[in-house]
Amino acid sequence: MPGGDGALVPVSNENRGSVVVYPLHHGLNPPIARLAISWSRGNSLRVSVFRPPSEGEAGGKVVEVNLSNGDSEISDAQRRRIAYGSVSPFALLQSRRSSFSSLSKVPMTPSLYHLDWCEHVIEYSKDISSLLGGPKLPPSPIIEDPKAIFKKGEEPTYLKAAWEMMEIFYADKQSQAWLPERLVDWLADYDSLFSSTQATIHSKLVDFQKDIVNIQVIEDDSRYWEVISSALAVGWLDVVVKMLRLHGSYQLDQLSYRETENGLIEAVAVLISKMPRLRPESASGKLGECFKSKPDFNKAWEKWRAQITKLDCSAFWIHCDNLRTREGLKNMLQIMLGNIESLCMATCHWIELYISHFLYIRPFTMGIESMYSLAQKCIQSKPVSSAHRLTGLMIGILEENTEVVLAECSREYGPWMVAHAVELLTAGSEQAEILLYEERYNLGGISIGELHRLIYAQVLSSHALTWQIAPIYLTSCMKQGMSLLEILLYRQSVQHNELLLKNIELCRLYGLDHISSSIMKVAGVYHWKHGRKGSGIYWLQQAQDANRLHIIAQQLFDSVGKSISDESFKQWEGVIELLGSESKTAGGLEFLRKYRDFKKFLQQVPGGKSTEAARRAVDSLILLMKNPSTPQRFWLPLLYDSLKLLNWQDCPLLNVCETNLLLNKVQELSLARVRPDFKESSLPPEALSCVRLALATNLGRAILDE
Amino acid sequence: MAKPLLTLDSGTTCSSWNYCGVRLAAGSADGTLSIFDFRDPASSSSLRSTFKSRIREGNIVKIVWLPPENGDAVACIFADGILSLWEEFAEDSHPLQWKMCKSFGGSSSKVLDVQFGISSTSLKMVVAYSDGHVRVYELLNPLELNNWQLQAEFQNVIDSVSTFGKAACFSASISWNPQKGGSQDSSFIIGYNSNTSELNSSKVWEFDQAHQRWLPVAELALPEDKGDQVYGVAWAPNIGRPYETIAVATHKGLAIWHLGLNPEHDGRLPVERIALLSGHEGEVWQMEWDMSGMTLATTGRDGTVRLWQSNLNGAWHQQAAIQPTS
Repeated sequence: MPGGDGALVPVSNENRGSVVVYPLHHGLNPPIARLAISWSRGNSLRVSVFRPPSEGEAGGKVVEVNLSNGDSEISDAQRRRIAYGSVSPFALLQSRRSSFSSLSKVPMTPSLYHLDWCEHVIEYSKDISSLLGGPKLPPSPIIEDPKAIFKKGEEPTYLKAAWEMMEIFYADKQSQAWLPERLVDWLADYDSLFSSTQATIHSKLVDFQKDIVNIQVIEDDSRYWEVISSALAVGWLDVVVKMLRLHGSYQLDQLSYRETENGLIEAVAVLISKMPRLRPESASGKLGECFKSKPDFNKAWEKWRAQITKLDCSAFWIHCDNLRTREGLKNMLQIMLGNIESLCMATCHWIELYISHFLYIRPFTMGIESMYSLAQKCIQSKPVSSAHRLTGLMIGILEENTEVVLAECSREYGPWMVAHAVELLTAGSEQAEILLYEERYNLGGISIGELHRLIYAQVLSSHALTWQIAPIYLTSCMKQGMSLLEILLYRQSVQHNELLLKNIELCRLYGLDHISSSIMKVAGVYHWKHGRKGSGIYWLQQAQDANRLHIIAQQLFDSVGKSISDESFKQWEGVIELLGSESKTAGGLEFLRKYRDFKKFLQQVPGGKSTEAARRAVDSLILLMKNPSTPQRFWLPLLYDSLKLLNWQDCPLLNVCETNLLLNKVQELSLARVRPDFKESSLPPEALSCVRLALATNLGRAILDE
Repeated sequence: MAKPLLTLDSGTTCSSWNYCGVRLAAGSADGTLSIFDFRDPASSSSLRSTFKSRIREGNIVKIVWLPPENGDAVACIFADGILSLWEEFAEDSHPLQWKMCKSFGGSSSKVLDVQFGISSTSLKMVVAYSDGHVRVYELLNPLELNNWQLQAEFQNVIDSVSTFGKAACFSASISWNPQKGGSQDSSFIIGYNSNTSELNSSKVWEFDQAHQRWLPVAELALPEDKGDQVYGVAWAPNIGRPYETIAVATHKGLAIWHLGLNPEHDGRLPVERIALLSGHEGEVWQMEWDMSGMTLATTGRDGTVRLWQSNLNGAWHQQAAIQPTS
């Protein structure tokens, strides 16, 4: 989808006239009457397509379009693996950055500070790079095939190649002195990626490898010499030496009469394996002699070149009667001497020619400006028909144009790459730091760096399996990350408890109390409305939503205010139990607990037998009637339910004082009835007079008793 | 990439996703309301129908979900201008059901659009009527959707003295400021497509807490465009920008406006038209901002979904188009 443009990332220097149109296949027959769109989380857009009604046809389709699938090279599962794997290096670097910025207030020599930070960045870069490897290729056999030119590690990916290229140029400050050598290694690892658009040395080697078993006399095959010189041009020395040793003159039966020829080959092979390299040490098994310091290297280089020249002028060549061998070897010497024509012939892609320059023509470190003009020259002599994913990035880096590098990263590799590569780009470059961390009004007051993190977090939010890591990136955005996180958390479903708890935990972690309270409110209303009254009240209490709880309390009063025999007793009893004892936030719900206790006691007083149980019920009744939070409309039902207590046979259960309290309440009720807003209870009309009579009788008996 | 989620019945005319994108409500030409739910919201697998009933005679033209703080409820607008609110509800031990809570509108004044906004205290509903009147209702009991109180009624004009008796409005578009909670007063934007030019231009209305009234605080139209009929308005979520971003669609194109946060001395908010974009030929049907407010998606009579973004220099452009094909 629009990801072909790197997941909808704003690109500053784009200059495309026409808009890319992506087809959306819905499978309906035309015509289409209308469309409806809705954003889901992150970058997924849901499109509803409606047809005009007709018999036997579907009325419409709903299709989800994910706008963030940028890079088709990486599978979704792999992409998620990378996303999860890069969280901890990223988070570690962020925490180091914050401790660094607090440290930087302490006086410290800038270079030391700089060096320390670069070490962190390179560690980060290596961690990320290790995630990007392609699938492992089958292990090589234990018995090595003598004719196998290559050893294979893992399938190279563009993503890893691009990351490592940026690491070489930006992050790996310690290797700056031997940067060209790192590029040589880089090309050795990733030359195959250039084969997609045109022939490369790698593809030539692969083709030759396939045919090698069918070739009788290898040195008579022109491709043999061609491939050897090519490999030599880009510095794959071990491949070259290995191939030289496949030469027929090494065979025991031929050694005797091809002595000179073999001697020349061996001399070239030795020269190749002694090639001086300006690097600390070569990887194990790699040929060449390494020099750390430039003067040592220069000395060795001059000596080596002198040896080549000497061999080139040697008299032995006249005695070598195999023309192909002689020419092949001579050409190799020319390559080693830096003959531009030979190098041009031996290489396919401009980037190979470029690398060969570093090896044989200008083996000394050069400034990045001259590296750029050299690249221009190489492109001129080996023009490419179509743009390549890696060369665009490389040109941007050599141009020292951070904006182009960002745009290339974004277009070719998507939001993950940009969000993570910003750390590399800014390592040690003040200019890039200003460019990427300067707040811009045009972007709504954030920096380009923060923008790219937000964009990446949006991509993460789009998928149910990755949205949980979006907060890590959002919280690293000082200005706008938290607001986006709030929206993200608010827009999660509350239907499933597991997700709900996870969500609330995230709110707690990032101190978003108001969002968690909104979420709990939504959950409370959801459960309440869907018949799970207990859960509903629980979540509303958690949300401290006094308003809704108060309304719920009123509703409960209505349902419990009916007579004791009511079937609903059991139902609301459980709800009240759930409310717990600390119902400060529960509006008038604490009353309901007392009411429940009273009703329980009353139920335990069957048939007017147990005076003790009856006394407990009376105590509870008096407690309720004394409590100011008992709603007035409950007074009469309470008293009416208690009639049998008031008319207790054995003895009056209420003393004079208690009876007077209740009589006063009855009086208050009679007065209240006159008011217009009075709500008549569902009790029989004579209820009040029954109660009054019972109370009066009780009062009389109590006075006599006392 | 594109993934089909659901096939709709013949006659379906509109659809709407709820706040978290796990429920879809669809309306039909015969007045049927259908609700679809994801079986497993975590994997967003497939949708199943959980409710389908013909709720009223007539064509449902628009469905709007209420904010989740008020339960699972939808507002359905019918072609004849009736607005009816439906809510999912379960009585104690009975199964879930949808019930009608309230209906608005009638023969004299049809409902054209409705949108809900949460203020700090209550749920507010803005309804645009075909006679050019805007009514703001307030929900008195947050757990009961049948009890609405009319809080304000006004016409979409800056100068409140003049009223237009015989306005005929064809459509209207409302969009609330998506700001959640906070100290900011609630506000929304509304634009009309009518025969009365004064009503048309989209205006931002803000609730004046001190005087308990709605005031127009900005007009998003250049002086020469004020009479232009408005197809749609969309207020972008603001995740921390020092201005609000609002999209307004008219026949002249799609305008992106910046709205300042602090009022000028006359009480108005400063406005600036950042871009006027063309792409949809003719009417714009719908405009939706993504959750960061960085990408605007639109649909229109040209049958294409278009995506709009700003580049690093703040210049808006069409980023991509999605063309439905069979």
